[in-house]
Amino acid sequence: MIWVTWRQHRAQILVTAAFLALLGMLLLGSAVEASRYVAEHAPPGCPGPAVACGEVAVALGQRYDTVYSVFGWMPLVAPALIGAFWGAPLLGREYERGTHRLAWTQAVPVWRWLAVKLTVLGGAVVAGGLLLSLMVSLWRPVFRSGVGSAFGNVGVFNMVGVAPAAWWLYAFALGTAAGTLFRRTLPAMALVVAGVAATMFTLVQVSDHYAEPARTQLSGTVVLDDPDVRLVSSAWVEPSGREVGEPSESGCARRVDVGQSSKNTDAWQACLFGKGYRFAVYYHPASRFWLFQWTEAGILTVAAAALGGLAVHRTLRRPG
Amino acid sequence: MSAALEVTGLGVRYRRTWALRDCSLSVPAGRVAALVGPNGAGKTTLMHTAVGLLRATEGSVRVAGEAAFVAQDKPLYDDFTVAEMLTFGLRTNRRWDGEAAAARLAGLGIPLKRKVGGLSGGQQAQVAVTLALASRPDLLVLDEPLANLDPLARHDVMRTIMAETAGRELTVLLSSHVVSDLEETCDWLIVLNGGRMQVSGDIEELLDDHLVLTGPVGASEAGMRVVSAGRTDRQVGLLVRGAPSPDPRWQARRPGLEELVMGYLRNPESTAMPALTGVRP
Repeated sequence: MIWVTWRQHRAQILVTAAFLALLGMLLLGSAVEASRYVAEHAPPGCPGPAVACGEVAVALGQRYDTVYSVFGWMPLVAPALIGAFWGAPLLGREYERGTHRLAWTQAVPVWRWLAVKLTVLGGAVVAGGLLLSLMVSLWRPVFRSGVGSAFGNVGVFNMVGVAPAAWWLYAFALGTAAGTLFRRTLPAMALVVAGVAATMFTLVQVSDHYAEPARTQLSGTVVLDDPDVRLVSSAWVEPSGREVGEPSESGCARRVDVGQSSKNTDAWQACLFGKGYRFAVYYHPASRFWLFQWTEAGILTVAAAALGGLAVHRTLRRPG
Repeated sequence: MSAALEVTGLGVRYRRTWALRDCSLSVPAGRVAALVGPNGAGKTTLMHTAVGLLRATEGSVRVAGEAAFVAQDKPLYDDFTVAEMLTFGLRTNRRWDGEAAAARLAGLGIPLKRKVGGLSGGQQAQVAVTLALASRPDLLVLDEPLANLDPLARHDVMRTIMAETAGRELTVLLSSHVVSDLEETCDWLIVLNGGRMQVSGDIEELLDDHLVLTGPVGASEAGMRVVSAGRTDRQVGLLVRGAPSPDPRWQARRPGLEELVMGYLRNPESTAMPALTGVRP
């Protein structure tokens, strides 16, 4: 059965492996080039927070952005592709071509046929996701030591840790289940793409509630000094200690800014701080990275198990 | 002789409609059984239940030993080579006679390195039948094996199947809605109509047991078991089971297989079923 699984799905396996290899080479090349640049141009103590390091930091930032733009689409598109090309055809194509009547009338029982395919392909998908995560995690520190964005940026968050593996597995299970629902490949693929996009949108909304947000009060500024956080909400705190969304009787006039300028808003905020107002921010700090990673992975894995169970149930109940 | 396939009180329901109801039959081992009936009669449902692709809603299907199945349209993996199809069979079966299969395909001039999708319809049918035979089944179930084949390919496919039944004890159940395809090769007849069994029995015995009578309108039909009747203004044609009436105006002759089948299909009320225990040697 393992040979059968390999023979039927080798195109997907090889294309995915080739893609990961290509990405690995790109990341490796970019990391080597960046390290060389730092070794040749950076003054002692750089990269780091010193002012002298600014030029190096800008150059590294440009390199980072160039490479990131090549694969920044991956958190959304890669699971969609995995679901569409690994999951949807697994059962959809068999039903569509009628070959399930060939495969499931051999001596191998249907449950074993399905178990081997789900295990081998599911395992490969998880391994692929972890490999992607490992490569990105090794590559990023070359550019971003000390400046994190793996938590605050949802895109990066979903490319590191266990998130890619969980997303790929979820999409694979979604595609497999869609294949049993439609019994055709193309509609199943469409459902996967829509389903992955909807799930990502939903989880981004829901992720604010993975933990109770931390609260901090700022005075003199409305921006947290740590850029790698997830903002949940914010409010003004009156001198009396009451939180309000919009200060109404503060006595500070707010004028509308024109164009890119934020001059009037800045003046209004400075006025409020001058009158004893403070700015409360609800946020998740970067220290919650693994809590969020495992929560998201847990949700996706449970969903994948439910979808896989649905596919197994539908297949075994009426295989014809 | 033991039964290779035994169906008892079988009913299969798709949501609210019954595709099969109250089906009971028994095919003795070593027979080549023809399953005939109009489209939608339940032939495919019966076969799918026999090979485990469908679950019986009520009743039971019992196959003695291993069954192999060739589904309608002979599904194969188009992007596999013929050799890879044989490996597929090897990897998914306990019993496998790959050498005989390769030899048979070589004898038919089907190259092992060719992609299945690049073969002609007749060659694909041969590959599908060869795969089914290579698992050394006790019961071979073929759903419309001759549909969409040209006359030469029909003949070749039937010859492949018949050669195997001659060599060892193999029971074959094959369906068709073209009775003339089956006349020379089958020795057991099952007629399904509207999801119910009408006929199940040895073909020679069935033909011996029935008569086609032609006579003028008004000839006596008293005492006869009329299966079905066709009337014109002046003439009556009957298919009867058992002895004819003594009225001398009837001209009697033995029916052909097609006449027998058509006679029953015209009148779904008629049945010719042996008692369930009546699996005769």
